Order: sequence, then structure tokens, then C-alpha cells
Amino acid sequence: MEHFIQAENFGKIAPYLTLFWQGTAVTVLMSLFTVVIGFLLALLLATMRLSRFCPLAFLGVDKEGRLRDGGVLLAVSRFNPLAFLATAYVEILRSTPVLVQVFIIYYGVFGALVTLPKFTVLGFIKFERFVPGIVALGMNSGAYLCEIIRSGIQSIDGGQTEASRSLGMTQMQTMRFIILPQAIKNILPAIANEFVVIIKESAITYTIGVQDIMSAVNAVRGATFIIIEPLLVATAIYFCLCFPTSKIIAYFERRMSRGDRR
Amino acid sequence: MATGDKLIEVRDLKKYYNRGAIKALDGISVDINRGDVAVVIGPSGSGKSTFLRSLNLMEEPTGGSIVFDGVDITKKKVPDGSGKLVRLDIDRHRQKMGMVFQHFNLFPHMTILQNMTLAPVQVRHMPQAQAEEKANQLLKRVGLGDRAGAYPIQLSGGQKQRIAIVRALMMEPEVMLFDEPTSALDPEMVGEVLDVMKELAHEGMTMVVVTHEMGFAREVGNRVLFMADGRLLEQNEPHALFDHPQHPRLKDFLSKVL
Repeated sequence: MEHFIQAENFGKIAPYLTLFWQGTAVTVLMSLFTVVIGFLLALLLATMRLSRFCPLAFLGVDKEGRLRDGGVLLAVSRFNPLAFLATAYVEILRSTPVLVQVFIIYYGVFGALVTLPKFTVLGFIKFERFVPGIVALGMNSGAYLCEIIRSGIQSIDGGQTEASRSLGMTQMQTMRFIILPQAIKNILPAIANEFVVIIKESAITYTIGVQDIMSAVNAVRGATFIIIEPLLVATAIYFCLCFPTSKIIAYFERRMSRGDRR
Repeated sequence: MATGDKLIEVRDLKKYYNRGAIKALDGISVDINRGDVAVVIGPSGSGKSTFLRSLNLMEEPTGGSIVFDGVDITKKKVPDGSGKLVRLDIDRHRQKMGMVFQHFNLFPHMTILQNMTLAPVQVRHMPQAQAEEKANQLLKRVGLGDRAGAYPIQLSGGQKQRIAIVRALMMEPEVMLFDEPTSALDPEMVGEVLDVMKELAHEGMTMVVVTHEMGFAREVGNRVLFMADGRLLEQNEPHALFDHPQHPRLKDFLSKVL
């Protein structure tokens, strides 16, 4: 019986090291783009979900200009189309597999609707596959980050808003100076966790031909028929990316919480 | 100290919940004059806090009107100087109404100095240096001159509430609203907060105070309002109200708390 891991196999895959370096660069770049897209999308979605945009509000007011006590009209008047759309988006994206989403974006949106120019960046990033990858992952993580941001904002005690508004500050000022600084501190661990999740989840884009770390594993296997050792190299790379990332953010989290302790 | 010059005119103020099944405020009418120290007392659930919080629209009333400085702040649109209807800017009115909360509500991520200077700098565009100087003066007055750089978590409850009071004073309000300012404090800290409020009253600040401190009501208030079941049942100057209560609900209430 052969050994599970054979030392000489590492020697055999050594010539393909460049593929792993390039794969690592792709994975890191893709995660960075994804987290930026996801965060901006999440801010938009969370703002929509927390908005008080009710175009039918006039239905909730009676002839004398007072708020109705109840009934269908009051319920209709509270309908917020922005919040509805954002909630629908979040629930659909969270309730379907990310692989399906990546395929729909790559084969559907970028296959039929939008045609991307085919060229490579830095000699190894295939633009026409990289962009659908970050769009799909960004859309997916936007849904998760939206919920993180929303719950972070809602977890701040209502007394904070009241105190701020009682001092004459506007809703925007209250958000900017009082709510967001506290909310961001609270949600930082969850966002860090999401970033680490994105690094790992980006592996799925090798199925649409993005040349990331997993794609390097596949290429080495095709050329050498060795599978376990390249996988171990990939595992080590992913660990070296994810573990320090979470530690660095934990460090900043501790620094930011200095106001909470004596 | 009371001048008879109306500052807040409340008429038939109502606040209903659940289609009127719960009437937190059931038609309150009262005038607050400049220089008044109006103390609101009553059993819990009587609508005292709801009344106070309605005055600066922390609660939106279901009906009635609140005229503050000549403007009905319960209306969404009000006439401007030329008589044109414009959207009511509630933030502008709130600047003139300081509020102190039961649970202090200091901003935990800011130092005491930042807590105090934020609103004057952001809302009134006061230069930072000037705001800090003003804050330091106020801090000295309440005996906390050395805590400007501290964070709220480092302070005791009584210190936090004194900070909350001077934070509101930074905006130079025309009236101060106190929502049970001593109810969340340990007994030995109640005195230091009441002393600050007393001093404020003697300086002529218009104050509306919801409290269970009957001693404060009697000693500092120039009017006491008794509320029960969302109604204002009796109001009088403190000695008359405490020594000769008329309404049976007030007699019953006083027999329990005094």
C-alpha cells in the first residue's frame, strides 16, 4: 500500500510553484474586490431596509390630518417598497447556493446580457472570468453583510438616538456621530468573519475558470497526476491568508473598545 | 421666578396606542411659563413620562397641540415669517429644549468633553476651542472639572447624570426637561444631582421635572402637576397641593408616598 503523502511528490510539483503564487494573488485580489463590492452593496441594502420611505403614507391619515387608529389603509400606508426590495434580495441570496449564483452570473448575465472584453491583467488574471466572479461573490456577501450592518445599527440602544436628537442633531448627524461609530465597533468581528468566509468561498470561482488557488491545484493534477500534495499546499496557503486576517482585525477590535473599559 | 410669560402652551394633548385602547395621554392642557419649575408627579403608568417626552416630540402625539415659542410643533407644516407654509424643522426647536434622561444616555464612545462639545460644534457651528472652554467652565461648576478626558464608563451614576445635565446646558436651552433624573441612581448619589438641579432653578431656568422626589417638588418647584390615567387631575403651588390635596386620587397617592 502506498503512503498517503509522499515527500518526493512535493519535489515533483515544485516546478509549478508559480501557478500557486499567481493563484494566491488572484484569490487575494478577488477577496478584496468582493469585500468592497459587498460592503457598498450592503450599506445600500441596509439603508433601504432601515429607511422610512412610505409613498402611500397619505392613505394612513384621515380627513382631519390625524393618523388612523388601524385598519387596511394604515397597513398599506406603511408599505415601504425600498425595504421590501432589499429584504427580498437578501432572503433570495441567502436561501440559494452560492454555486448556483456564480453560474447564473457567469453563464446568464455575462454570457448572454453583457459581453466583457477578453484580455488578461498582469499576465495571469483573465478579465472576462475574474469580473463575473467578483460580481457574483460580491452580490452574495452583500446580502450577508447587509444583515450584519442592519443588526449592528439596531443593536444600539434607542436612548442614544433620543439623546442625540434631543440636542438638536439631525437624523444624519445622529447616524454619523453616534450610531455608526458604535455599530461598526460592534459588528467588526462579524465583518472580519465575513471577509475570511469570502477568502474561502472564492475557491468556488474556479468552476467558472478563474485561475485562483484551487485552479492551480487542478492544473498541477492535470500535468502530474498528483492530487494530495497540491491540495495540502492549497490548504496551507488558505490558512496563512485567513488566520492572520482574523487576528489582525481582532487586534483593531481590542484597540477600538478602549472606551468600554476602565 | 415665574414670570407669567408663556413658553409652552399645551392644549388637549392626546397619545393613544392600539387604536385608542390605551390612552397614555387623554387630553392634557397646561401652560409652562418662563422661569417655572413645574414638577410632574403621579403613580407609575400615569403618563408623566409620555407627557414630558411629547413636549420635544420624542413621542408623536395622537392629538392636541403644543405651542412652543409661538410655533405649534405638532403640525408638520407651519407658517414662516411671511406667512408661507414651510416644513416644521423639529431639530431647531429641540435645540432650545434640553432633555435629561433616566438612564443618562451619555455617548459611551466619546470622552466627557467630546460628549459636551459635539452638538454645539456640529449643530450651532461653535468653534471647537470655544466649545471646550464653555464645557470646562460648566464641568467646574458641577464639580467635575478634572474629568473632561474620562469616558462615561469611568464615572459613577451621579457623575454621569451631572454630565448629562451640563451636556444639555451646552446648547443654552430655553427649557430643561427632566425625565426621572434620579430614578436610576443609588440613593447616596441622588443628592448631588438634585443639588445641580436646584442651582439651575435658582438661576431662573425654566424646568419641567418628572420625579418621585417629593422633597424636591416641595422645596424647588413653584408648581406641582399631579397626573393619573393620562389626565392632569390637579395642579397647584407645592405647599397647597401637598398640604391640602383636593382630588381623591391625589390624596390616595400622597398617603402612599409621603
